[in-house]
Amino acid sequence: MIHFNQLTYTYPGSSYPALSNVTLDILEGEFVLLAGPSGAGKSTLLRCLNGLVPHFTGGTLRGSVTVAGHDPVAEGPQVLSRIVGFIFQDPEAQFVVDRVEDEVAFALENAAIPPAEMRTRVEEALGLVGLLPLRDRPLETLSGGEKQRVAIAAALALRPRILALDEPTSQLDPESAEEVLSALERLNRELELTIILAEQRLERILPYADRLVYLPSPLPIRGGREGVVLSGPPRRVLRQMDLTPPLVTLGKALGWEPLPLTVEEGRKSANRQIGKSQMANRKSPFVHSSIRPFVDSQIRRFSILHPPFSIRDLHFSYGDTHALRGVALTVGEGELVALMGRNGSGKTTLLKCIVGLLRPQQGEILLEDESLIGRETADICRRVGYLPQEPDALLFADTVADELEVTLRNHGLLDNPPIIPADLLARLGLSGLATSYPRDLSVGQRQRVALGAVTVTRPRLLLLDEPTRGLDYAAKRELVRLLREWQAEGAGVLLVTHDVELVAQAADRVVVLEQGAVSADGPPAEVLTGSLLLAPQVARLFPGTGWLTVEDALAGLLPS
Amino acid sequence: MIDVRAWVLWAVTALVVASSTRNPLYLVLLLLVVAVVDKAHAPGHRQRAVLSPLRFAAVAVPLSVLFNGLTAHLGDTVLFRLPTWLPLLSGSVTLEALVFGATNGLTLTAIFSGFVVFNQVTPVRDLVQLTPRAFHEAGVVLSIALTFVPQTTHSLARIREAQAVRGHRIRGLRDWLPIFVPLLVSGLERSMGLAEAMVARGYGAVTDRSQPLRLQALLALGLFLLLGGWLAFLFLPSWKALALGGILVGVALIVGVLWLAGRAVPRTAYRTHRWTARDTLVVLGCGLTLAATLLPLPLVDRTTLAYAPFPRLTLPAFDPLIGLGLLGLLVPVYHATRNTQHATRNTAQ
Repeated sequence: MIHFNQLTYTYPGSSYPALSNVTLDILEGEFVLLAGPSGAGKSTLLRCLNGLVPHFTGGTLRGSVTVAGHDPVAEGPQVLSRIVGFIFQDPEAQFVVDRVEDEVAFALENAAIPPAEMRTRVEEALGLVGLLPLRDRPLETLSGGEKQRVAIAAALALRPRILALDEPTSQLDPESAEEVLSALERLNRELELTIILAEQRLERILPYADRLVYLPSPLPIRGGREGVVLSGPPRRVLRQMDLTPPLVTLGKALGWEPLPLTVEEGRKSANRQIGKSQMANRKSPFVHSSIRPFVDSQIRRFSILHPPFSIRDLHFSYGDTHALRGVALTVGEGELVALMGRNGSGKTTLLKCIVGLLRPQQGEILLEDESLIGRETADICRRVGYLPQEPDALLFADTVADELEVTLRNHGLLDNPPIIPADLLARLGLSGLATSYPRDLSVGQRQRVALGAVTVTRPRLLLLDEPTRGLDYAAKRELVRLLREWQAEGAGVLLVTHDVELVAQAADRVVVLEQGAVSADGPPAEVLTGSLLLAPQVARLFPGTGWLTVEDALAGLLPS
Repeated sequence: MIDVRAWVLWAVTALVVASSTRNPLYLVLLLLVVAVVDKAHAPGHRQRAVLSPLRFAAVAVPLSVLFNGLTAHLGDTVLFRLPTWLPLLSGSVTLEALVFGATNGLTLTAIFSGFVVFNQVTPVRDLVQLTPRAFHEAGVVLSIALTFVPQTTHSLARIREAQAVRGHRIRGLRDWLPIFVPLLVSGLERSMGLAEAMVARGYGAVTDRSQPLRLQALLALGLFLLLGGWLAFLFLPSWKALALGGILVGVALIVGVLWLAGRAVPRTAYRTHRWTARDTLVVLGCGLTLAATLLPLPLVDRTTLAYAPFPRLTLPAFDPLIGLGLLGLLVPVYHATRNTQHATRNTAQ
């Protein structure tokens, strides 16, 4: 169906190829998961399928691609649009009109499909993704998952044989992501549509995939082995990958056969393993040693008795809609509190109220006994670092170092900075990039620059809104390391996220918001394991043990 | 649902009436009619215009009164005099000039209200479909440009917030740089993303877009005849008949070329509106209004349209037949009421 033969592609102006010597075969009707670190060329490879690369991007291409007998390089994206349906990361960025039905019909109108057939196709495409009841709705009223399904329906209307999806679930909350994935699975099963999907969070997609393709970083690895493209059944490829989802990592560490891809598969091996360990450690207390090596017990006691940051009875409404209803919350010194909840439960609103971007109608917000209510955002943010959902909105300076200086200048701290900018850059792993243009960097690096820009005032409290969106496993690990260092210095962290695995690794406490009110507040082992939606893979594998991470499970199962 | 073409005629009629009278009684009646149509057709769920006609009037009427009062020194009822050392403004300020200014303000408000209603009841997409097929691409560009406006407003708010949390305050022009740069870059990124998505969905997949030379030559000839005929009509009184013929042939040629070029654009429409009896009713209503205000009908006193308060303020005259004609613009209200009743019945069932 698809054949890449020694494909090498270099973007215009780039000194190294984005894809290097890729040879790959994909069969008709396969569900292919495309994995690899950011910058490995996953999006580029997808864009080669329909000729967007090189027709839209320019650059130089060597080797060949064949898609269903067509040559995308010679025929171009317009011709290939009938064969390959392409879905982008952000559904909103690809919409041309404003209603569900019209959006699906847009490509058909341009292809001059007769009206009668057009109506049949629109009906069929909406039916396939379960959107018929929403056909008349304006797009702006849909949820993230629904919008992404509209984008899929719009691609399906042209009746393609292949669907190429570029991180289609990375902007979605877990339920919306599940909605989209089930729709794709159905299309693959019922229509035998070939699906090629690039994604960072493998654990979501692995259960559906027939083939896993791993693209290594094209950059020369320092002292490491030369990266090669891996392709094959998921289990075989996962064994050769360094960074894998927790369940797979655990399976690899314990030598489980076959390697589990779903919690159900893992449970059998887990039961055998527990039997092997004679349940010696099953009731062992929650293992902390590898998780928070820096937190001092003195500080933790102090913080619980007299938390430096607290919110009491906070209320906020957007017009008639109550977004926050009497929220109460504390963050201790050096404590990392994860704030979880569905989309629209009020998490971002709460963060905006804290930094003064929104004015709460009632309640109190105290930082070290001082009220933050009614104060200017710029004032508050000298002591509270806030990283918004899209860190790109922060970046505008010419160099990475300038970004830090701008914040210092804004706060009048340029002559007497609380932390030497060069030291902060070193800690963020950005020393070598101090003179680079921030917007040219990778997603993970841009996020660290933004983090530097909001923490150069050495805030006592750090608010992070969905910081792991679009990050690969390595970038996520790096973020966890940074947060632990800040905690060790006594900074409190309030982390808004849907990423349960991150929470399992890093949080001291979990607070769950539901319709603007706190519905749960407690240690991760208690809150995360108490809900099916919030439970990390390890917790679902070993219910009742309180284990959340691979380290917990290994320490519990292998006491030596 | 009323056809967009009927709505265009409705808006044009409102515009024609508003600009063909200075009689405050007719203008107030027109404003009331437009307000009723607005109320009936723009229920709560539709996004309201940022600037409501009422707010517009609150600014336009006083400004117009002030401007006319200070600059037009006509009229017998002098209220006070401005000193002679004031350039342009010096002279008497009269009651008549103030009233005339208020009438002008009302005219502007009536035109604005008509557009607000039209804007709220017609989706951008329907308007784009009105463009001749030969200009389809320009129509798509326009519709995308219109959807970019709210997106850019959202981006602006997001970027302002992001900069505020870095301690940024706007004090002078230079302080806009940290907001403008990310706004520009994100706008460009969004445009590139959309262009890529449209190409991936087969937009512009037409093999040959160039028009045949014959059509281009015919278009040039049509434009030449139109322009030449118009000039001859203006400056050569003895050639008037020939000039009119030239204009007509020119227009026919241009329309014909656009139609032929449109046929060459392979494109179909998903939503095709069928013209219904209710659309005809709206057209008849507009026809009634236009006839009452523009045609020299017997029994209709069209001089009442041209009210001027000078030299001494008098009460404006009102011809009930013209007033009745203006009510022709109310036809869309009838349709909206029927739709609501239909919806209520459906819900009840």
